[in-house]
Formats: sequence, structure tokens, C-alpha cells
Amino acid sequence: MTDMAVTEQSSDLSPDSQKRGAIAYKRDKRTKRSVILADQIADKVITIGGFLVIVAVASIMVFLISVTLPLMGAGSITGRSEFQLGDAHGRILSARMDENLTIAANTADDGSNSAFHFQTGATVGVPNFDLGGKPATAFARTLRGEDLAFGFADGTVRLGRAELKVRVIPADALPPNLKPINSRDQTDGAAVYSKVPGGQYRRVAMEVTLEAPVQVAPEGTAILHLDYRVGGPAERPVRAFVTVDSLGTTRLNFAFSRVNMMTGEKVTTLQGSELPSAGPAAEITKVLMNAAADRVIIATRDGNLRRFDTRDFKNPVLAETRKVVADNASLTALTYLNGETSLVVGSSDGSVSVWFGVDRKSTETSDGYVLTQVHKVDGHKAPVSLIGVSKRTRMFVTADEAGDVALHHATTSRTLLRFGDGPDRSGLQTLLLSPRDDAVTAIGKNGKVVNWMISEPHPETTLGSLFGKVWYEGYAEPTYTWQSTASIDSFEPKLSLIPVIFGTFKASVYALIFAVPIALLAAIYTSEFMHYSVRAVVKPVMELMATLPSVVIGFVAALVVSPVVETWITAVVIAFAVVPMSLVAAAFLWQTLPRPLALRYDGIPKFILYFVVLFISVWASMQLGPFVERLFFGGDFKVWTTGIGDPCPFTLFMVLPVSFMVVFLGTDRLFGLRYKAFLRSQTYPGGVEIVRWLVLSTASFLLAWAIAGIMSGSGYDPRGGVVDTYVQRNTLIAAFAIGFAMIPIIYTIAEDALTSVPEHLRAASLACGATRWQTASNVIVPTAGSGIFSAVMIGLGRAVGETMIVVMATGNTPVLDWNLFNGLRALSANINVELPEAVRDSTLYRTLFLCGLVLFAVTFVLNTVAEMVRQRFRKRAAQL
Amino acid sequence: MTDSTAGGTLIPDTSNQRTSVTFVRAKGSDLSAVGEPFIWGMGGALAFGVVMILGFLALVIINGLITFWPKPLEEVKLADGRSFVGEPIRVERYRPTPDQLAKLSDPIRAKISDDGGFADRSLYRIGNYDYYNNDFQWVADFEVSSRSNPPDLFLVERQEWGVFIGRITQVRAGDEVVENPGPVAVNAHFAEARALRAERARIERDEIGEINHQLNAGRLSIRRAVLDAGGDENAPSVKAVSDKVAAQRVDLDRRFQEAGQRVNVVREKDAKFSITLTEVDGVAKTFPLSNLVRFYQPNKLSLGESLAIYGSRWVEFIVAEPREANTEGGVMPAIFGTLVMTIIMSLIVAPFGVITALYLREYARQGTVVSIVRISVNNLAGVPSIVYGVFGLGFFAYILGGNIDAMFFPEHLPNPTFGTGGVLWSALTLALLTVPVVIVATEEALASVPRSMREGSLACGASKWQTIKWIVLPRAAPGIMTGLILAMARGAGEVAPLMLVGVVKLAPELPIDATFPYVHMERSFMHLGFHIFDVAFQSRNSEAGRPMVYVTTLILIGVVLLLNIFAIQVRARLKKRFQGSQF
Repeated sequence: MTDMAVTEQSSDLSPDSQKRGAIAYKRDKRTKRSVILADQIADKVITIGGFLVIVAVASIMVFLISVTLPLMGAGSITGRSEFQLGDAHGRILSARMDENLTIAANTADDGSNSAFHFQTGATVGVPNFDLGGKPATAFARTLRGEDLAFGFADGTVRLGRAELKVRVIPADALPPNLKPINSRDQTDGAAVYSKVPGGQYRRVAMEVTLEAPVQVAPEGTAILHLDYRVGGPAERPVRAFVTVDSLGTTRLNFAFSRVNMMTGEKVTTLQGSELPSAGPAAEITKVLMNAAADRVIIATRDGNLRRFDTRDFKNPVLAETRKVVADNASLTALTYLNGETSLVVGSSDGSVSVWFGVDRKSTETSDGYVLTQVHKVDGHKAPVSLIGVSKRTRMFVTADEAGDVALHHATTSRTLLRFGDGPDRSGLQTLLLSPRDDAVTAIGKNGKVVNWMISEPHPETTLGSLFGKVWYEGYAEPTYTWQSTASIDSFEPKLSLIPVIFGTFKASVYALIFAVPIALLAAIYTSEFMHYSVRAVVKPVMELMATLPSVVIGFVAALVVSPVVETWITAVVIAFAVVPMSLVAAAFLWQTLPRPLALRYDGIPKFILYFVVLFISVWASMQLGPFVERLFFGGDFKVWTTGIGDPCPFTLFMVLPVSFMVVFLGTDRLFGLRYKAFLRSQTYPGGVEIVRWLVLSTASFLLAWAIAGIMSGSGYDPRGGVVDTYVQRNTLIAAFAIGFAMIPIIYTIAEDALTSVPEHLRAASLACGATRWQTASNVIVPTAGSGIFSAVMIGLGRAVGETMIVVMATGNTPVLDWNLFNGLRALSANINVELPEAVRDSTLYRTLFLCGLVLFAVTFVLNTVAEMVRQRFRKRAAQL
Repeated sequence: MTDSTAGGTLIPDTSNQRTSVTFVRAKGSDLSAVGEPFIWGMGGALAFGVVMILGFLALVIINGLITFWPKPLEEVKLADGRSFVGEPIRVERYRPTPDQLAKLSDPIRAKISDDGGFADRSLYRIGNYDYYNNDFQWVADFEVSSRSNPPDLFLVERQEWGVFIGRITQVRAGDEVVENPGPVAVNAHFAEARALRAERARIERDEIGEINHQLNAGRLSIRRAVLDAGGDENAPSVKAVSDKVAAQRVDLDRRFQEAGQRVNVVREKDAKFSITLTEVDGVAKTFPLSNLVRFYQPNKLSLGESLAIYGSRWVEFIVAEPREANTEGGVMPAIFGTLVMTIIMSLIVAPFGVITALYLREYARQGTVVSIVRISVNNLAGVPSIVYGVFGLGFFAYILGGNIDAMFFPEHLPNPTFGTGGVLWSALTLALLTVPVVIVATEEALASVPRSMREGSLACGASKWQTIKWIVLPRAAPGIMTGLILAMARGAGEVAPLMLVGVVKLAPELPIDATFPYVHMERSFMHLGFHIFDVAFQSRNSEAGRPMVYVTTLILIGVVLLLNIFAIQVRARLKKRFQGSQF
């Protein structure tokens, strides 16, 4: 109450009232509840909030790791089911299932088909092939398993098709009286209906077609082996098959079907050619062909593959014969992998190997390709009997005669999973990898079926494949390659991080070479030689530049600078020598000025003179460029980079800095003191200095020329190394642009470090009689050395992570060369270009996350080192 | 004494000077101690840096500023008899390829080889893309026989097909036909035709768009009801909703019909106005008058008219939507998107950054852990932005957004709502990216508040929070502000992470508009930085987009630099204010 009275009394004098109120309040001796509450709330909020933000930031790394870890996983078996196949019939030749694992269907050698519900094993009715009572003597299927061919004892072949047709139908189109199989599926006996989201049903049923027999071999000559492919575009397929008959004759046939307009009957005509003899029929165990029908492989029991080149269909040539199994073993299984380039070979000693043709320009084979064993996976203990191939990746399953099953990946030479609990110890009839690589089905000789559900999301990546050399299909040797996608389905993804890590490294190194000298020299000048009034303008301007959006720098570099540089490339190259030389020349000229004059114009006029010299030297480079180009590079530098012309001039250019250093430092070391004494005795020391400089420069040139001559003579050529074929958007442009972005950062931090060297050191040095240059080079820079180092590290960190500039200014080609005139693909650009297209949780997606993780780790380490060095420097500088 | 030889700025009078020089020489210093070549090397490096930066800024600013200035049209007659009309864009030196050289006559070839293999060429914007299939043409100087500036030529900017250069030969308004009209005659009908076009666009976009939106909402509400009923499509609750939607649908269909009719009426009216343009070589082309954006006779313009066109083009650029695959029109959605995203980002980053800094500086026990955290936070400022983009996509959009979709928007699935890039995720990603900047700046600001002030406050009986609120934060405010502005500048200029988490080439709708709930956090948006990348690299002709890119760049750089300069100013001003207040 009294409080109230006091405040009311003096409410017109607010400061007074507060004071008095405060006093009255204090008298109360109690802290207001609201104050305590606010304090407690703030305490909690700030502690929890601060802690959470730190956790959130730290979780970035954890999250990146959690996304990338599955890449290294070996996959797992997630389920197993088994059941007995119903009514027994002939030997099962082939099996297939639909993408959603609804039905698995088998085809037996008598043409009968059987099918079962994949999840429960319930029998599903399917139509049979009517082979007319004749059992098939040979059988073939395409890699997708839908197109089939039967060969018969009478020398005929019948082509057919057994397809699991999938249709999505609305609920009201569902036929009545369906029998439920399980919670998802129901059947009408022939088709299975599965409920899918959106109130619709998916109907799966097998449809078969069988064409009339065509006579391939002479009447009565049995077809023993057969392979069949359907190639070409879907609307006009090219169907080809290859047969081996009991006489040992191998024929390659194209089947052309035409529908007779009048009768509506389908007439198949054959066009065939005979392959050169492949040996006695009894020896042949397998025949293979590819969809383009330009390659036929005939395998014999002793493990010899005869590869026929059938690109000229009329005149097939035996390209090579290659033994693919060990000497005392025989070949027991052979098939193409997805993409029909790699062959998987199973042998009687249980080994499983992958082979493909490598272009070795060999003279032993007709086309220069040599079948080479590229991968070898962990094999079996018993002879390999069956191989099942994935339809989307380079995975395959193998089974041996003891019924053991294993899942492998060809590209990484890895055995991913082993299934010891197969259906039959005495061997299998058929083995199958599901269309989506999510199940393996094995049918034993006893008619027992085992389905293993597997989870194998990233079979193509291991630490080795991401960071090591891998031998990809079609390559002559193991390489580091990044090529994540291509236009064809059966593409083998090549996900080596080395080319992109290299690209990042290349861009950063070249950018550093460009930016560090400029930034550091400029920082030393600003801190030690510049008038403070100029510095007050220059420093903030440079700092502002550090905030320029990199997309802008990238745009200017790619669309404005790169065409100019392309036109003036020679001038740009020689400017690297002309500009520093001109500045030094100007310095020597300046020294000849009478001292009073030199001192009078020492401040801002001299600073302006730097710009003048710079412009003159750039202009001189542009004038000299075409001249040098004609003289040394045959008139066109870009043509020269492709390898035409003398390498010597460019080598000279490259050794020039070294020879300058050798000559100048060498003479200084040898004659330095004597020369200085001599210089002191001169009346016009400036003139003497010029003479010395000219003489030594000439000597350096001559030395460089001599070295370059020797190097060129001994066969050294810079082309193929740091310079090679010129492309418009190249590393030089990127290095300029990244350097442009780095200079302000390095400059600012280095300048701060130099300025924070205590003033008394500077004063002491100057007071001892050292010149400013001596003070800077002997006292200030060494003291600030660690600070300068951390500036460079932070700059490097920015260069490594720079994204938009590298995306825009380089061609984003993942190459592994040091060529300054070629493009590159950096980690950051790789993420930027590919991640928007990557499917969530796919291998590519996770690999790109790995790129991000690598980038994170590299920059984190760089920054931590820089930060620690800087902290130490600060402490030291404070102690001095 | 030696100081002066080294080029000090303190110069005593000359007589003194001379003695000092002789003195130095006698005492054993020599020219090499001055290190003149090294100083020149360093000075040259600085000059090079400054020239690069100023040159860069000049390039962007000059090109950005002159883009909209109406340029005269030139009729170029070539030596081989062909001729064309175009706006001269730029002149450059180039190097004819051997093939080109082989086709030239001897004197020209001799002249080029005298010039070191170089020749000059000019780029002309010839417009008339629908006729030439190309908007630009290079012509080498040696090919040109004469250039002139015919005053009667028009430059016509169109809604579609870009610029047309030629003569206006006819204007038709209903039955009224004017042959060879001047600008006045065209203008007489232009405004009316344009109003019709605007009306049509309004009906089509606003009214029909709204109806479509409601139809879609109705469909979704049925799906939602089905999902709520556990997938049972025949549940009574579903029935109620679908009846309601069906009733609405009748009304909406009627409105749709009605709007469509009105559009047709407008379209018929619009069709009465047409204009015929004739190219220099006589080919005429007729199209609706409303297709025009702007037209003028470049070679007849007075300074005032030029200024008016210049101004109107700037206004169009700032307030209009892009046309012709972003290479023409304006960048309003991009400016708006950048602004909205940056503001949302600031709203997120400011409290969290300040709270974290307060925690680190005022609450956490200073020790090894906190200093490690501090170094880590410092380092995070140096982690590449693209890494944040990767995180944003994987965590925010896919995991967080995916879960939000599953919980709150199941009826939209499988189309993602929050489960893909959007303005919220972009802002969050950039907030994560810039939070270290704010933390570091705030920490520095908090550290600079003298300990004595805190102690004084506490000694007077203030609680910890009161001390922070009334003593520490006000003193630290300048530093915090600076950090925040720097964070905004960085956020506004960042592109790489946004390309992963929500920026698009062309957003159909703005992230904030007049439909409920007004702020659409899930929408993807346009961004100035991405606009630059997109127009410069993804458009059909990078030359056509280049002027736009320059102007966009000018705006982006302007925004970023202004924010930075503002930050520096704030820092300087507030520093000064609190300078005297240390005890």
C-alpha cells in the first residue's frame, strides 16, 4: 500500500519514482515471483536451446554417416519359405516370376507349365505349351525369361512366349467368386488378384503362345543345344537363335514372322548361316549368343570357349578359342550376365569366374579382343551346376551339385550371401533371382521349393569399389571411373570417388597457386607498407568481396572470361611471366631515381604507378601474345596443345621460375657480401643494380633454355601432363574464378595476423636500423607465420567446398589428369549435378551423400588445423 | 634514419635528407636492403587484386545498367549483298578459323594476318526469332559494306517470340484499318488491347485457378475421409463428405463454365485488334495487338523518351513475371522468393544463434568441452554449403517432410507435400548454414561487454536473466545485429544448397499469396541466384538471356553488398556509441 502511495505521488517525475520505487521494493527484501520465474525460464530455455543447437549441428555428421553406412553392408536374408511342388511332371527347364512376387511359374521339358503362389505355394492354374507329345531335346530362354525356344529330335525348333501379364484393374472389374489365398491375394484359379492402394487390383496371369515348328537341322537330326535372343526395338523385334545338332553343325538363324493378310496366319521364315565347325557334337555342352546376334559362343566340356564373330552374318568367323577352366576341371555352367558382355563360368572344381572380351589389339584373335578372366568370386565345394542372373544389376546366383546356393556380384568380385539350407542335397532343377533382386528361388530335384527373401540394396559398392580401381566391362584394365548413369538399362554403374576427389584437389591446387601469392603479397603490402588512409579504404573493399555470391563469379567466369581467355590464351600464359617481370623492371628503374625524387613520390604516386605498370604489362602481353604464338607455337597455341609442334618453349616457360631462383639466390649466396660492398662504393647504385638484374635475367633465361633443351631432348613433353588439349571451360578458368573468391579471404585473415604482430617488435626492428623491407621479411612475416598459414588453410577450405563456380566454369568431366586446359568434376559439383536426379536411398544417392561426408570431413580437418594454429598464434602474439 | 631510405612517409626537409642518405651509405646499408623489387611485387599483387575486383564490379554494374537503355538500330549491308537490321550488342576481337580464312579474299586475308590473325566482329541482336530461328548474328567487320540508321524502323517487344525489328505496316481494330500507322495510331488501340489481355489472364489465372483449386481440395477431402475411416470407402463419414463435395462440384462446374464463356468473350474482342509487322526484306507478319509489350522507333528517340523506356523496362523487370523461359519479362517471383526465404531464415536463425551464444558464453561452464564446441562451431562456418544442402535434402525434406506428409497430408500421397524441397526446408537449411556466423558474432559481442558491468548489475541485486536482458544484450546488440545481417547476406547469395532443397526454374505460385493459409511453407520458390544460373546456362540461347543475367546479377550483388555495408555501418555506429561506457 505504501509503495502504491509513493509511486502515485510522484508519478509525474518518472526517474524519481523509479528510484523511490526501487528503494521501497528493496525494503520489501523479497524478489518478485515473476523475476524468479523469468530467470528460471530463461535458464532452462537458454540451456536447452543452446544444447539443442549444438546437438543439431553435430548431428549433421552423424546423419551423413548413417546414410552412407548401408553402402558398405553386405545385405541379408530377410525370410525363407519352403513348400512341396504339387503334381509331378517333367524336368523343369526354366522358371520366372513377376516383379511383385505374386506368381512363380515353371516350364518343364514336356511343355507343361506349373505355377504356384509365391508367398504360400498354393497352386495356380496356367496354360501349357502343346508340344505335340514330343519332349524337347533342347531348350533356350532369353535373359528376361519370357521368350522361349524348344528344340526337338526331328531337327525342328519352336519359338514361344510365356509371359506373366500384369494389369491393374478397378475394383468393379473384379470377377466374382474369388478364392482368397492370403490377406493380400485372391485367385479365380488362373489369375491372381492383389489389392493395391487406391482401391484397385493387380491381376497377374500367365499367357503362353507357341509358334509352329520350323525345320532348322536336316530331318531326323536332333537339336542338342539351343540359344535364343530377341533384339531390336520392341515394335519390330529381331529374333535370332543358334542351334547345335547331333551332327555337330552349328547354325545361326534369324526368324522373320509375317502375318498372312488373307488367312491371318502367322508365317515364320528362316534365314540362316552355318558356323565353322566347333568339334564333335558330344563335346559341346553349351551354346550362347547375344541379342544383337553378332557373337556366338560355343563351350566344350573341357572348358574351351569358341567365340564366333557373326557381325557379318553370312560369313561367321571363329574369333578365338580360350580355355576358361583349370586344366583338370570341366566346364559345368555358363551364362551371360545382364548386359550380355560378361560371361559367368562355373566349373567342376567349384570355381566361379567372370570373363569378358578386352580390347588388347591382339593379333591372335580376329578382332583384337581377348576373352579375359576379370573377376573371380568365392566358389563352391562341389561342381557348379546352375547360374541365375539378375535382370537389373551384375548380381548372379550359383548353385552346386550338393544343393548349396550363393549370391555374388560380378563387378566387385564379391560373394554376398550363402544359402546352406537349400531344398535338396542331391542338386537343383532350377535357380532363379527375382526381377527386383529381392528373392532367390531354388527348386530341388525332389520337387521342393525354397524361397529366400533377400535384401541387397547396394551390391555394387564396397570400400574397394568406391576408393580403389575396379575393372569394368569393356575397359582394358582396372580404372578409377565415375559414370553413374547412361542411356541403356543394363548399364554397369561406375562409382569410384577417386576422379571427383581428384577433381576437387586439382581445382584447389591450381586455385591456390594463383591466389596465395597474390593474397599474401597484397596482405604484407597492406599491413607493412601502405599508408593508413589508403588501407582504410582497401581493406573493407577486399572484405566486402569475400561476400560476393559465387554464382555471380561463376557466371562471369564461364560466360565472359572463358571466351576471352580462349581467344587470348597465349597472352594469358605469357602474362604469368610478363607481369611480374615488368613490376620488377619498374622497381629497378625506380631505384635509379634520384633519392629526393624517390622519397617525394614514395606514397600515393608510387601506389598509382603500380597500377600503371600493371596495365602496361597486360597490354604488352596482349601485344606479345600473337607474336610469341607465331614464333614458338606454330601460330596457334590451341593446336600446339594437341601435340603438334616443339615442346621446348613451353618447358622453358615452366622451368623459368626455378632457373631464376637458382641464378639469383646462387649469385647472392656466392657473391652477395662482396657485391653489396661494391654497390656501396658506387655513386649510381641504381644503374649498377639494373645492369646486374639484366645480366642475371639473361643468364636465367639461358639456363632455362639449356635445361628445357635437355629435357625436350630426353623426350620430356609438358603436353600430356599439366597442359594438353584445350577445352573452353577448363581448370584455368575455374582456378581464376576460385582464386578470385579465395583472395579476399586469405588476404583478410593474413592481414589481420600481420597487423596483430605487436607494434613494439616493429618499432624495435626499425630502431635497430633495419629497413621496412628487412623488418617485414625478417621480423613481421616470421612472427605472423602461423597466422598466415591458417589463412591459407581457411582459403583452401573454401576452395575445396566451392560449388557454383566449378559447376559453371568447368565442363564437369570426371577425368584424372592434371591438364590445366581440361575440365574437371569436383565433389561439390558432383553432388550438385547428380543429387537432384538421384532416387532416394538408391546407391547413387548414398554415394553422393558419401561425397558430402568426404567434403565435410576434409573441410572440417582443414578448418580445425587452421583454427588451432590460429589460436596458438594469437596466444603467442599476445605474449610477445 | 634508415627508415627514410626505406620509403617512410615522414620526410624532413631536403637538406637533412641528403645528409641522411650519405650517412646511411657510409654506415653500411645498400640498395638491396630497401628491397624495392619485392615491394613492387607486393604492391603489384595488391594492385592486381584491386583491379580484378573493381573490374569485376564495373563489368557487372555497367552491363547491368546499360541493358535496358534503348539502343539505336543499325541496318547493315554486307559485301555479298545481303542485309539485316539489328541492335548492336558488342564488338570483340576474334580469331578466324583456318576454314573461315580460306573462304576470304586475298586482301582481307593479308590484313588479318598483318593483325596477328585477329579480326574484329560485332554481335547484332536481329530479333524476329519466329522468322530467322536465331536472335543473334555475328558479323565480321570485313564483311560489312555499309551501316546506316534508318529512322522509320520499329523495335517491338512481344509477349511471345521475343523482339521484332521491322516496320509497322498495318493496324486493325475491328473494321477500322490504318495503313502504315505511326506510334500514335498504334497507341490509340494498344491500351485497350492490353487491358483485354490482362482481363483474360486475370480470369484464367485467378478465377479458373481458384475453381480448380477447390475442385482439387474436394477430391482430396474425400480421400482424406476414406483414410480416416480406415480405408473403408463405404463408411457413412465418407458418404457425408462425398455428398458435400458433389454438391459443391455442381456449383463449381457451373462457375467454371461461366468463366470459360467470359474468357471466350474477351478473346473474341481481343481478336479484333491486330497488327501487321513487316521485316526489312518485306515479309509481313500479323498477330494480335495484345501480344505487344512495348514498341518504339529507336533511331527517333529523344532523351526523354529513352529515359521513359529505360524506366518502364526497369519497372517491368522488378514487378513483372518472367516470360520466354525466364529470358524476358521480370524477376518479381525471384525477388519475392529470395526475400521470403531470407526472412524466414532470419526468423529461425536469430533466436537460435543468440540463445546458443548466450549458453556458450553466459551459462555453460567454461572448460575443455566448451572450447571444443566453440572451435567446432567456428569450423562449421567453413563447411561447404553444398554439404548443408545434402543434409537438408536427406534429413529435412525426405525424413522430416516425409513424416509430416504421412501424418498430416496422407491424402496427397504419393505426391509429396512437405516431403520434397520447399521454402521452409530451404530456410532451415540456410539457417543451419548461417547459424555459426550468428553464434560467432554474438559470442564476440557478449565477450566485449565488460565483466565489471555484469558484476555491477548482479551486485545491485539483479537476477542473471535481468542482467542479461537489461545490461548485456543491449550492449551486445550491435554485434548481434552485424552477425545477423552478415548471415542474411550469406543466405541471400547462396545457391548450391538451395538447388537441392527447393529452388525451381519457374514456380507457378508464390510462397505467400491470397489463398488460405496465405504462407505456403511447402511450396518451391524462385531465387535470384538460381535465376542467374538457370538463365545463363540452361536457356536455349545463353546470349539471349545474358542481358537479363547481368541485371539480375546487379540486383543480387546490390542486395548482398548493401546488407554487408549496412552491417559494417551498424557495427561502426554502435561501437562508437558504447565506446565511452567502459569503466
